Amino acid sequence: MATRSAVNNRHSKTLNEEIIVSQISRRQAIALLGALGFGATAAACAGPGGSTAPGGATGPAAPATGDITGKVSFAHWRGEDKVVFDELIKRFAALHDGVEVAQDISTSNDYTAQALQKLRGGSIGDAFATFRGSQFKNFTEAGIYTELKDSKAVSNYQEGLLSAGKSGESQLGLPYQVVFPMPMANVDLFDKAGAELAPKDWDSFLAMCEKLASSGVIPISWPGGDVGNGGQLFNCMIANNAPVDDMCAQIEQGKLKVTDDWFIKMLNQYKDLVPYLQPNATGTAVEPAQNLFSQGKAAMLATGSYHIAAVRGLGAQFPIELVFPNTSDGNAKYEGVYNATFILGVNSASKNQAAAAAWIDFLSEPENAAYYANETAQHVSVKDVDYTNPDLKRLSPWLDKNTALAARFQFQNLDVRNAVEASATAVISGTSPEQAAEAAQKIVDERI
Amino acid sequence: MSTHTGLPAKRKAPGSPPDVNDNKGRRRSPTRVNPALYLFPLPAVAVIAFFLVMPTLQAFQYALTDWNGFSAAFNYVGLDNFIRAFTNDSLFTNALTNNLKFVLLVVIAQTFFSLILALLLTKNSRGSVLLRALFFFPTILSSVSVAFIWKFIYDPNFGLANAVLGGVGLEALQSSYLGNDAQALYWVAVTQVWFHAGQMMVVYIAGLQAIPRELYEAAEMDGANKWQQFKSITWPFVAPATSIVVAYTTVQSFKAFDLILGIAGNPPKQSLDILSTRIYSTFANSEFGYAAAQSIIFMAMIALVTWLQRRLLRLTPKGE
Repeated sequence: MATRSAVNNRHSKTLNEEIIVSQISRRQAIALLGALGFGATAAACAGPGGSTAPGGATGPAAPATGDITGKVSFAHWRGEDKVVFDELIKRFAALHDGVEVAQDISTSNDYTAQALQKLRGGSIGDAFATFRGSQFKNFTEAGIYTELKDSKAVSNYQEGLLSAGKSGESQLGLPYQVVFPMPMANVDLFDKAGAELAPKDWDSFLAMCEKLASSGVIPISWPGGDVGNGGQLFNCMIANNAPVDDMCAQIEQGKLKVTDDWFIKMLNQYKDLVPYLQPNATGTAVEPAQNLFSQGKAAMLATGSYHIAAVRGLGAQFPIELVFPNTSDGNAKYEGVYNATFILGVNSASKNQAAAAAWIDFLSEPENAAYYANETAQHVSVKDVDYTNPDLKRLSPWLDKNTALAARFQFQNLDVRNAVEASATAVISGTSPEQAAEAAQKIVDERI
Repeated sequence: MSTHTGLPAKRKAPGSPPDVNDNKGRRRSPTRVNPALYLFPLPAVAVIAFFLVMPTLQAFQYALTDWNGFSAAFNYVGLDNFIRAFTNDSLFTNALTNNLKFVLLVVIAQTFFSLILALLLTKNSRGSVLLRALFFFPTILSSVSVAFIWKFIYDPNFGLANAVLGGVGLEALQSSYLGNDAQALYWVAVTQVWFHAGQMMVVYIAGLQAIPRELYEAAEMDGANKWQQFKSITWPFVAPATSIVVAYTTVQSFKAFDLILGIAGNPPKQSLDILSTRIYSTFANSEFGYAAAQSIIFMAMIALVTWLQRRLLRLTPKGE
């Protein structure tokens, strides 16, 4: 009996437990699901807005001292420079025990689109680079940059090239690279055709193209199928046509219009180029355009000096010069265009700012900047750099010429920039300059 | 559908303790679900709530603001973003037009080709299996790889398409493909169909193989020709498969984001801009509020087009 009673008790207990569990489970299930739904709705209804500590003009200065140790994430878009940065990282790590720099590289287009969101949390990009223009402005507004005015690195830069990294009185970033977004020229083909490398006006430029065409080569290889690279020619075409230097900013603000005479004149000059571009230029991506140039089929590549390393990599052995498509009638204000970009900065949300700042200081030392420049075939803004790379040596005189800061980076709105530049592509496709300008202006007007 | 209690059935033995439910004068239903089971889907519900429901609700909220994506400050702008999309943004309406055109082209071509391929390869012969594998192959490639392959094919200077046309003396047909604004979308549609027709072919083959052979035998005995057999037997029987193919292709074509970005670059030019790439460009342009509104329109558009297709093709009976 005792055994049977014990069994009954145990059974009864089990059933009761089950009932309790069932009752609690039901309540819990409803409560948990309710809480989950409420939490999700409440979280979803939380207002947008960031929690990034305000940096920028009012933010903290990058620490001048601190432990240079731990991991530093270096975010940028120059995949082609990875090996060079790897070597510099080795040298940096040899100077500072326990420091480790990891490169976080995106493609330039992805970097343009996503870097701000990726970096604002601070887990990626303790040190980083931005493009000049809208990206730098957005990073500044988001408070991602720290103040570098009093940093050791600033004094290493050429004063005149630092403006692209300034916001008001603050020096938030250090523009590291100096590039010339002008057509690169195969000097051998120019010599063979007897074409001059420095046309004094638009007619001379067209005459130069004619000579090249007569010699049996394509005068200009232009990647019209690639918005980013194809748009670089715009910097040259607009520099001497526009009535003011901040023409793109004024177009965006509605003070100037792309239907104005000066812009239509520029579009007509684009039309003049059509016979001198490779066939089907608007469908050509950047790699085939580079191939045409590096294989000696085209005399010029209308992108910029930042492609020197790429065309050398494709086997180009000839001497390379830069040619400025001079759109003036002989009294040009500028004899070329340049851009100061790859604006280095320290992330205000970084937990390892001291090491990140030290990495930026390290890159800004003339010896290291020279290594970077010579290995990547790109000029830098750092002073006292010894250029040993033959291409850089040859192109160094351009650093002292009267060049205009590349205008396309004045656009803050990428839709406006793309629409304005697309008007040139449309003209090359056969649209009349007036129609192309009107279509572009419509998009600009919608965004003013 | 049977319902499981989740607990082993208990046989009431003589002398066993009384059922608590009996004590309360209620009988436990044999089909009643143990409430503890409601907790089982909780992890999945949590994941869906946090990663799907919450962002969707947030998108609705952001769509009513002018938030730029990084500032703490923002303003509620009511329905302005939605109004702007339809009345004062030619880039958006251009992308919408491109997208609808792209969907129409791809849905028609992909459904047609996948059905044709399926009809030709329904039999389980060795050759058919090999060809099925061959046609299915593009599906297993990543969209970025496909984009780069076709970018090479379409290149006007070094590309395969112009080289082949030149090789057979058809220079007149050579084109700049993606560089020709009037044609670019059609060429990308060709790529999309090549990419996914094999996948849809498999869906059709499954549908075709489920049709009883007797129906065809009976039709043959009645003197029905091949077309009549197709019209009266095959097509009605593959309607469920068609429904899947059309709906899936529609959604896929609306969201051909990676293919377009891979083939046309970022940002794509206006002739290749579709809704998903436009939304991405708007996000990249630091207009989060406006991009959220575009996303909601995009979502509504997919739902509407899918529903309309099903109605028009009579793939969904009334009331479903």
